[in-house]
Amino acid sequence: MEVIIDSLEQFWLYTGFASATWQHLVMILLGITFIILGIVKEWEPLLLIPIGFGMIIGNIPLFPGLQVSIYEEGSVFNILYHGVRYGWYPPLIFLGIGAMTDFSALISQPRLMLIGAAAQIGIFGAYILALHMGFMPNEAGAIGIIGGADGPTAIFLSSRLAPELMGAIAVSAYSYMALVPVIQKPIMLLMTNKKERLIRMATPRTVNQKEKIIFPIVGLMITTFVVPSALPLLGMLFFGNLLKESGVTRRLAETARGPLIDVVTTLIGLTVGISTQANVFLSEKSVKIFALGLISFIIATICGVGFVKIWNLFLPEHRKINPLIGNAGVSAVPDSARVSEVVGREADPKNHLLMHAMAPNVAGVIGSAVAAGILLSFLG
Amino acid sequence: MQKDPHGLVVSMVAILVVFLSLYILYYCYRFVGYWFTRKKGTKSAKKLSESEEDEVAAAISLALSLENNMETQAAIAMALDCYLSESVHDKESYIITIKRKK
Repeated sequence: MEVIIDSLEQFWLYTGFASATWQHLVMILLGITFIILGIVKEWEPLLLIPIGFGMIIGNIPLFPGLQVSIYEEGSVFNILYHGVRYGWYPPLIFLGIGAMTDFSALISQPRLMLIGAAAQIGIFGAYILALHMGFMPNEAGAIGIIGGADGPTAIFLSSRLAPELMGAIAVSAYSYMALVPVIQKPIMLLMTNKKERLIRMATPRTVNQKEKIIFPIVGLMITTFVVPSALPLLGMLFFGNLLKESGVTRRLAETARGPLIDVVTTLIGLTVGISTQANVFLSEKSVKIFALGLISFIIATICGVGFVKIWNLFLPEHRKINPLIGNAGVSAVPDSARVSEVVGREADPKNHLLMHAMAPNVAGVIGSAVAAGILLSFLG
Repeated sequence: MQKDPHGLVVSMVAILVVFLSLYILYYCYRFVGYWFTRKKGTKSAKKLSESEEDEVAAAISLALSLENNMETQAAIAMALDCYLSESVHDKESYIITIKRKK
C-alpha cells in the first residue's frame, strides 16, 4: 500500500497540477482570450489563434527536465523555435508576402512611397521613449520596431537585438496589428476635417507587366545598397514579387504565397505563443513593452496622416492627397488600407481610397524593413 | 551609444535614411513610369498610323457576327483587354524537361 502511495505521490509531482502557479493560469486565460478574439471578433485569426493556443501549450506547468519545454535544448518545440530564435522564419514569410503583393498601386503613384517613410517615425519615437524608460539601446530598438506594424520584422529584429524580449514584442506587435481599426480610426478622425476627408484623388494609371517585373530588381538594388543589413527581409520580399510578376514561375509563386507562408505562419505563431512562458513573460518589462507598442502605433498613425496634411499645403488642388490614406503608411497590409477605405466611405460613399491607400501600405512594408536594417546596423 | 544617450542622433539619422531610400526608389520609379507611359503613347500612335487597329477591329466584328455564343464574345473581350493592357500572364512553355531513363 505504501509503495502505491509513494508512486502516486511521485506521479503527482510530475503532473501540471503540482507545478501550477497563478501566473500559469493568467497566461492560459490570456491565450484563451486570444483564441476567442480570433474566432468571435475575427481579429487576425491566422495569428491570434496559433499564438493563443501556443500560450496555452507554453504555460502548461512542467516538471523540469522532461525535455518538452521550448527552452530545453533538443526538445521538439525547441527545434521548431529555431526559426524564430535565429530569425529565418521572417524572411520566409516575406517571400510569401512578396509573392502575394501587387505593387501596381505604388508603381503608378510612386510619390505615395514617402508616406510609407513618414509612418516609420513611430518606430523611432518609441525607441526614444524606451531609452527614457530605462531600456538598453538594443532592447529599445527591438521594442521600437513594433511601431512598424510588421510582425515578421519585429520578430526578425528582436531575435537579433533582444532575444529575451522577443515573446513580449511579438505578442504586442501582433495584438496591435489585430487592433489596427480600433487604434487608427479615432486618430484619423481627430486629425482631419470634413473637407479633407472628401478629397478625391485621380485614378491611378494602368501599370504594364514590364514595369512590374523591373520593380523588384530596382527596388532590391536601391534599398539594400543603402541598407545592406535589411537584405534577408528585402531580398526575400522582392524575390517573391519577381516570382509573381515574371509570369513564368507561377508554380513557385503559388507555393510561396500559399502552402509555404501558411506553414511558416502556423509555426511562427505557435512557437511565439509557446515562448511566452509565465516566468519569462509576466514581468514589468512586458507591461512597458505593451505600453510602448501602443504609443509607437499612435505616433506612426499621427505621423502618416500629419505628413500628408503638411504635404498638401504645397500641392496644387488637382494633385492633393486625401490624408485618410496617411495611416496606411504602417505596414499592416491590408488592414490599415482597409481602414482608409472604410473611413473614406463614411465621409463620401462614392470615394474609394483602397487603391490609393495600398501604395503607402506596401511602401510601409519596405520602409519598416529598411528601418529594421538601420537599427540592426546601429545597435546590433 | 554613450555619446547619444537619448537616441536622438540615431533616430534622426535613421529617419533620414528611411526617407532617402524610399525617395531614391520614388525618383527611379517616377522616371521608369514616365519612360513607359511615353513609350506606350508612341506605340499606340504608331499603331493608329498603320491602321492596324481598324483591321483587327474588322476581323473581330466579322468573327463575332458569325458567332452567336456569348461565351466566345466574353473570351475575346477578355483576351483583348489582357493584350491591350499588356498584362498577359503565365507564358509557361509547358515542356516537360525530364528525359526518359534509358
